[in-house]
Amino acid sequence: MNKKLFTQIKNEWRTNLWLIIELLVVSVVLWYIVDFFYTKISVRTLPRGFNTEHCYRIDFNYVNIKSPEFNPDINDSINAVHMRELLDRISRRPEVEAASLSQNSYPYNGSNSGIWVYYADDRDTLQNDGYVVRRWVTPDFVRVFRYTGAAGETSEQLAEMLKENKILINNDLFMYRGVELKDYAGKKFALDDTTMIHTLGAAITTPRYSDYQTWGSTVLINVLNDRQVGWCGELCIRVKPDMDHDVIENIMKDAPSQYRIGNLMVTDVVSFDDIRDNFQRLWSNQERNYYAGMGFLLFNIFLGLLGTFWFRTQQRVSEIAIRKANGATSTDIFRRLISEGLLLLVVATIPATLIDIGLSWYGYNQWFDDGYMGWVRTPATILISFALMALMIVLGILIPARRAMKIKPAVALKDE
Amino acid sequence: MKLTTIFRSTWFQMRHQPVLSIVTIAGTALSIFLIMIVVMMQEVTTAPFAPESNRYRLLYYSFLSSSYEDGDGECNGPMAYTTARQMLLSLQTPEAATAYQGIVTSAALSIPKSPNVKVDMRPVDNNYWKVFDFTFIDGAPFTQADFDAGLPKIVITESIARKVFGTTEVAGREILVNLAPFTVSGVVKDVSTLAAKAYAQAWTNLSATNTFEQSWNTIHGMLSVAILANSRDDFDKIREEYEKAHDKYEDEIKSTGRKIKSLSRPYDQETEAIAFASNIEPDLPGERRSRLIVYLILLIVPAINLSAMTQSRLKQRTAEIGVRRSFGCTRSRIILDIITENLAITVIAGIIGLILSVIFGYLCNNLLFAQPFSQTMNAPAVDSSILLHWSTFGWAMIFCFILNILSSGLPAINASRTGLVNALNGRAN
Repeated sequence: MNKKLFTQIKNEWRTNLWLIIELLVVSVVLWYIVDFFYTKISVRTLPRGFNTEHCYRIDFNYVNIKSPEFNPDINDSINAVHMRELLDRISRRPEVEAASLSQNSYPYNGSNSGIWVYYADDRDTLQNDGYVVRRWVTPDFVRVFRYTGAAGETSEQLAEMLKENKILINNDLFMYRGVELKDYAGKKFALDDTTMIHTLGAAITTPRYSDYQTWGSTVLINVLNDRQVGWCGELCIRVKPDMDHDVIENIMKDAPSQYRIGNLMVTDVVSFDDIRDNFQRLWSNQERNYYAGMGFLLFNIFLGLLGTFWFRTQQRVSEIAIRKANGATSTDIFRRLISEGLLLLVVATIPATLIDIGLSWYGYNQWFDDGYMGWVRTPATILISFALMALMIVLGILIPARRAMKIKPAVALKDE
Repeated sequence: MKLTTIFRSTWFQMRHQPVLSIVTIAGTALSIFLIMIVVMMQEVTTAPFAPESNRYRLLYYSFLSSSYEDGDGECNGPMAYTTARQMLLSLQTPEAATAYQGIVTSAALSIPKSPNVKVDMRPVDNNYWKVFDFTFIDGAPFTQADFDAGLPKIVITESIARKVFGTTEVAGREILVNLAPFTVSGVVKDVSTLAAKAYAQAWTNLSATNTFEQSWNTIHGMLSVAILANSRDDFDKIREEYEKAHDKYEDEIKSTGRKIKSLSRPYDQETEAIAFASNIEPDLPGERRSRLIVYLILLIVPAINLSAMTQSRLKQRTAEIGVRRSFGCTRSRIILDIITENLAITVIAGIIGLILSVIFGYLCNNLLFAQPFSQTMNAPAVDSSILLHWSTFGWAMIFCFILNILSSGLPAINASRTGLVNALNGRAN
C-alpha cells in the first residue's frame, strides 16, 4: 500500500513538484509569521507594571492671549497654584478615585525626558546602562495607574513614599549587573549629578513602555516646586469602576463652570483605551498585516490542494473504482488521498525546517528573550506551522475525497 | 487565434471545468485583492489628494534635532518660529513655505449662549493656504497682512460651522476660540485625517495664538515646516540652499552652544510617511525592501498555486494542442495563445479583486488606514479621490500581468513541448 503511494506520487511528479514548492515557500513564510506571533504574544502576556482601565486624561489649555478673559498678571507661580487647585477640584468629583499631574509620564505617551541614575555610595558599580525615562509626577500618579512595588508594596504605600520625596525606580534597571533594586530600598541614589541625591523608596515592577516592548527603565520623582508643576501638562484620573460611564460628557459639562481657573481651561477628556490604541497602532497594524498574511497563505494552500486533488480524483475515477471493486472501503480511499497530501507536506517540511533554522541562526526573525532561537521556541513554532498547514491540506482534500468515496465501481467501470 | 476565439475557448474551458475555474478565479482575485489593499495602504500616505494635492512637490521639516556641542543632551522635537524663519521660510528657491503647529491640539469653540464644541485645532501661518489646496465654500484664507498684524482670524470646516452656527455661510462672524474672540475668515470642506499635515477642524492665524511665541531650549518650539517646490527637480537645489541657511543660523545661535543635526532633512513625502521618530533618520531603502518582499510573497505563492492548476487543465487539452501542432501551428504561437487565454481569466479575477478591495477600503477604513502615532482620535475618512488614482488601476493591471505570466508561462512552455505523436494520442508526456 505505502509502496504504491510512493509510486503514484513519483508518477505525478510534475504537479507534485509544484505543490511541494508551494508548500515549501508557504511553510517558511508561515513559520516566520508564527514565530512573530509567538514572540509578540509572549511579550504581551508579561506583567505590564501598570493598569489603565477606567483611566482618563483631562486635557487643559490656556486662555488665548487675545481673549478679554486672559489675565496677563498670572505668572508661573500663580499658575502653579491654579494647576494644583484644578487637580484638587477634579479629585473631589465623586466618581474620581485618584488624580495626578505629571510631565511626559503617563503610560503610552511617547514623549520622554532622560535622566542618569547612580548608586550614591559607589557610582562605579551601579549606574544605568542605556536610556532611563524621568517621570515627574504628583504622588497619586502611582494610584491612578496602579503601579506596584517589586517587593509587594501597594500603590497606596508607593504614593506615601513619593510624598516623602523618595524616588521609585524600576526593579530591573541594574539587572545587567545581576542586581535587583528591591534590595536597595532606603539607599541613596544620585540623579544626573551628585547634587541631586534621593532615597529610593521602593523598586517598582517595571512599567513597560508599551504592551509590545519589555523595556521600561523609569525613575518616578515627586514634583518639587512651582516651576516643575508649571511644566506638568498632563492631568490623569482613575474613576471608580462602578461609576465609569458618561465620564467624558459629565466632566466636559462641568468644565466651563467649575474648571475655569485663572488662565486655565479644560478642553477635552480622553479615555486611556483610545490613547493606548492610538499609541500602539504601529504594532497593532503590523499584527493585523501578519494575521491577514497568515490567512492568505493558509487559504492559498486550501485552494491549491482543493484544485489539484479535484483534478486528480477526476483522473483516477477508474483506478479508484478498481480498488473499490477489489474490496477497498470508502475510508481506505479517503485515507489514501489524505496521506498523499500529508506526505507531500512532510517532504516540503524537511528543507523548510532547515531554512527556518538558517533564518534564525542569522537573526532574520524577531529578537526575543536574548536571542533568535530557543529550545522551546524554535521547535514549537515549526510544529505549529506544520499543524496549521496540515489542517488546511486536510480541509482542501476533504471535498474531492468525499467525491471519490462516492464513486460507484459498477458505473465507473462500465466503459472499460 | 482571433481574440474572439480565445474568449470563446476560455468560456468553454470555464464551463467544462467549473471547480478548477472557480478555484483559479478565487485564488487570483484574492491575490489581487490583497495586493491592492497593500497598494492603497501605501498610497494614502504618499499619493496626492486634496488638500495635499502637491505631495509630489512637497518637502517636510517636521522635527528639529539639536545637541550641545559636546554631543550631550540631545533634543528632538518641533521648532520655534525664529528657527523656522531663519532656516526654512526664508529660502528663495521654493514656490512657498509654511510654518504650522506640527500636532493638532484640542480647543473649545463657541458662540455666546451655546455650549462649547471641541475641535482639533492647528495654528498656521498665511502661506499654509498656498502650500495646501483647501476648497473654500465660504470666505477666504487669512492673508499676509492678517499674519503680520496678528489678527485673530480662523478658518473652520463646514461640519464644524454647522455644529457651531447651524449654517456654513459664516465668513466674517465672530467665534470664541478658547474664550478669545476670533473672526471666521473662511469655511473649507472637511479634511480627512489621512492628510496628516493639512488635517484639522479649525486653523487659527498662528501669530494670534500662544503657540507663536512658545519655545523650549531656545530654538525648539511647537512648529513644523512644509516647503512647496516648483518641481521635484528643485529638491536638490532647495537642500543646498537649506544647508547654507542652516550653517548661518547655527552661527547666529552660537551663544546657546547648540548644534543642529539635519538627519538628511527636509524629507520628501515618501520618507516623511515613515519618519515616526524625531531622533532617527528613516530608512527608506529598508522600507522599500520589505515592501518588495510583501509583494513578492503575495504574487509568488498564488502563482505557484495557479501554475499547478493551469498544468492540470492543459493536460486535458493535449490532444487539442496536438491537432493544432500537426496543422502547422508554431510552438511560440501555442504558448502565446495559452498565456492570452489565461490572461482573460486573470483580468476577470483581477477586476473582481480590485472591486472587492475598494469596497473593503470604504467599509473598513479605520481598520486599514488608521495611521500610527496619529494626533487625533477621529477616524480616517476616505473617498474616491483618496482611494482611487490612475496609478491604482495601473498597479492592478501590472500585478495581474505579472501574476498571469508567472502562473501560465511554465505550464504553457511544457504543453507546447509535448511530442506530436503522444499529443495526438492524448498522452501528456
